[in-house]
Amino acid sequence: MNARPESASAASDISDFGASRRQFLKTSGGLVLGFSLFGPLAAVAQQPATRLPASASGGAQTFPAVDPARLDAWLAIHPDNTATLFTGKVEQGNGSPNALAQIAAEELDFPFDRLFVVMGTTTSTVDQGPTYGSMAVRYAGPQIRHAAAAGRQVLLSMAGKRLRVPVEQLAVRDGVVSVVGAPGLSVTSRSITYGELVDGKRLDVTIGATGKTFGMKVAPDARLKDPSKYTIVGTSVPRKDIPGKVTGEFTYVHDVKVPNMLHGRVVRPYGIGSDLLSVDESGLRDIPGFVAVVRQRNFLGVVAETEWSAIKAAEKLGSKRVRKGPTDGQAKWSDWQGLPAMDDLWETLRHASGKDTSVARRGDVDAALRGAAKTLKATYSTPFETHGSIGPELAIADVGNGYAKFWAGTQMPHQARRDMAELLDLPVENVEVNWVEASGQYGRNGLEPVMADAAIMSRAVGRPVRVQWMRWDSHGWDPKEPPIVQDLEGALDHTGNVIAWRHHMWVPTFSDTRLLASELIGKPVGQIHLGDAAIQYEYQFDHADVVAHGEGRVGLITAWMRAPGQFETTFAMEAFVDELAAAAQQDPLAFRLKYLKEPRAIAVLKAAARQYGWKSRPAFQGKQPGGKATGRGIAWVNRDGSRVATIADVVVDRDTGEIRVKRVVVAHDCGLVISPDGMRNQIEGNVIQSISRTLHEEIAFDRAHVTSRDWASYPILRFNEIPDSIEMVFVNNSAQYPSNGGGEPSTCPTAAVISNAVYDATGIRLRQKPFRPERVKAALARA
Amino acid sequence: MPRTIHLKVNGKQHAIEAEPDTMLLYVLRDQLGLHGPKFGCGLSQCGACTIHLDGAAVRSCVLPATAAEGREITTLEGLGSVDKPGPLQQAFIDEQAVQCGYCINGMIMTAQAFLDSHPDPSRDDIKQALDNNLCRCGTHMRIVRAVERAAKNWRPAS
Repeated sequence: MNARPESASAASDISDFGASRRQFLKTSGGLVLGFSLFGPLAAVAQQPATRLPASASGGAQTFPAVDPARLDAWLAIHPDNTATLFTGKVEQGNGSPNALAQIAAEELDFPFDRLFVVMGTTTSTVDQGPTYGSMAVRYAGPQIRHAAAAGRQVLLSMAGKRLRVPVEQLAVRDGVVSVVGAPGLSVTSRSITYGELVDGKRLDVTIGATGKTFGMKVAPDARLKDPSKYTIVGTSVPRKDIPGKVTGEFTYVHDVKVPNMLHGRVVRPYGIGSDLLSVDESGLRDIPGFVAVVRQRNFLGVVAETEWSAIKAAEKLGSKRVRKGPTDGQAKWSDWQGLPAMDDLWETLRHASGKDTSVARRGDVDAALRGAAKTLKATYSTPFETHGSIGPELAIADVGNGYAKFWAGTQMPHQARRDMAELLDLPVENVEVNWVEASGQYGRNGLEPVMADAAIMSRAVGRPVRVQWMRWDSHGWDPKEPPIVQDLEGALDHTGNVIAWRHHMWVPTFSDTRLLASELIGKPVGQIHLGDAAIQYEYQFDHADVVAHGEGRVGLITAWMRAPGQFETTFAMEAFVDELAAAAQQDPLAFRLKYLKEPRAIAVLKAAARQYGWKSRPAFQGKQPGGKATGRGIAWVNRDGSRVATIADVVVDRDTGEIRVKRVVVAHDCGLVISPDGMRNQIEGNVIQSISRTLHEEIAFDRAHVTSRDWASYPILRFNEIPDSIEMVFVNNSAQYPSNGGGEPSTCPTAAVISNAVYDATGIRLRQKPFRPERVKAALARA
Repeated sequence: MPRTIHLKVNGKQHAIEAEPDTMLLYVLRDQLGLHGPKFGCGLSQCGACTIHLDGAAVRSCVLPATAAEGREITTLEGLGSVDKPGPLQQAFIDEQAVQCGYCINGMIMTAQAFLDSHPDPSRDDIKQALDNNLCRCGTHMRIVRAVERAAKNWRPAS
């Protein structure tokens, strides 16, 4: 978080961290500027600030929401001519604060390095919806742009009054308003900074807002800057958080301390559905600093004065990396064995109840298949995966008499606030979530569920409790990316044209937001939605039938992980297109282009091919001599309007079965790129993480629980395996194409690219992820 | 029962009360307020907790605090500050080699110890040196570039 430096320095030791807005209000004496932007300019009013939360000790605390129709919901200008942007979006390691601040600084004509960002905290920011789905810049960007543009107009109006000139005679540069074309005036009367103008007061001005969260329109009448005049948007500015992060001075949520705080650890059931039978507390009181066991139905946790004491107490009860059985530990659980066998997972998915959604239906696929010169069939399967944040999930809860406060890294602080209110039977006004950045998330990891753990423990002991998951809690119990199985069928005519395409997929939910602890105490909070198609079908085949069978929870809680579902559907679709191209003996790029009409799709494929130096030929030219074979693969995606084409070279070691990705080329069209180096950082991250998911990642489980409970049993990509180069081309990077998402799309093509490249190198098709060496060797042996 | 443990951290002596089996990581973070080293796995698998013990990179999540008595402990904070970053820290800033940044402590502490003993490494040497440190965001390309950048003018610790 780019908090203002003076508030961040003390942040880890104060109880209201994240509330630098309130700090500002206190230091500014609570004075407000009151007038309406689009009505007549009223006099500056001096009123006490009314948005400070009541802080009566011991009694109910209320935390009013922020009104998006007011300028000070978005912006504060400080006397030293720095400024703060407030946004309900949060940082998850993507660098979005930079992009959002660049947009605001641009419209304000304010120096980027003097603009700081406060994110997420429910008492300080507007609910702009969760930070997910590559939607921060796409949706929050325009909201912030309008608010900042309105802010500039307000500041110019104030300057006009102060300098006694019409607004038309004013110009702004770097937060300094100057009179233009007025010779003879002294320097001091000719210019004034935003900071001097506002003089420490709140920007209590109505700018207007309608709608909610993603669809909210802010300051709809604000005059926006002409993009041809942009000087900040589209440039690479250094991230403000990095110096703190490389020196240990940055405050993560893991570093926050709250007065009187205890440390908690959870003890999860042995089996997913085990009941807690008994807890033997003997010996726990011998652990110095031990405070209490917290037990509520199947929820079990321990609380202690120090982390180490909490860890030791939890271990006695059964929290450890490997558990031998339901009675291994002083807590005894029933022997639940309700998960499917790992080998049966795909059949389980095929038979799970759900709802079919037709994605595409054209012509008569069955008739076309019957009349085809050549038909192909294939099944693609992908496993459970974990988010695997390097820093395990953590939250601090302070549940008191009639209020609850949290310090949390959640991707959805405003929704989490409502969920915590429901869990604790509190009015939502009495709940505050102070957002503080956590370790990278990549979707819904356990940062919301751990808030429920902390809430239950704090309520039980009557003190603030900091709960951090152990590594096995995170791998074992974070919401997972769901497994998906997909059947494909295609037909070619005698000239090698595709005449039929069928793609049926069985997709468990990736929006199961049930909080684990809420289920364990028997008071479920959160929803289990059905899985959906997560596919953009763009090919123009004469006969097509694409159906998604959306399912509920299958075995484990599953929730979105970077490009949820679409990473898997793109794998199947783009690898099977490649199978058809190979069967038709055609170049895989030319083959795709034959069936695509959409100009931006064609543009990214061609841009990637140009950068790569693609030469037309069919894939797999026969077995290569020697132990190592090289190949190239191509695939593309349209994820919610962002188009990405990826080409990669791989080397397959026939002896070891190891695949190495050597050179990667990405052509990326997310429209106007706000922060080019930030975007490149995101694309590199997507490419490397998706190579990792493709080559290595699979959650293993037995009939009781997840057995991939650490980094040894769930390996991820290591430095020795990274590509030699990742080259990038931005396509349609101009203001006529509004900024779309960049946090996820370049994840999608990778599995298909690698599968296609392995085919090009060896002639084998890898249709089940991950492509671990033993699986590759087995496939090579069968070929 | 808790006892007094004497630790020398970043050149300063500390006397802290802790249970003798407490891992050094918790003492550094919770009692000395040093947030450079991070808890990642507690299993010596990811490297987020890396510190230097007498100049060697070690995992503080599995090192009892008592085992560090009488030795020189250096944390990320000992290599520099926001106002005056060390050369490797500056190289990470120059390369913008951070996404979430949670693993970066381990990357810098591991690379610092590596460069002190291998001042002119190849790119493959750097990858090998960092191979037991995990990054989940996929910042690897930049991390390698940052270490390469720092290696160009490296002056090993005396």
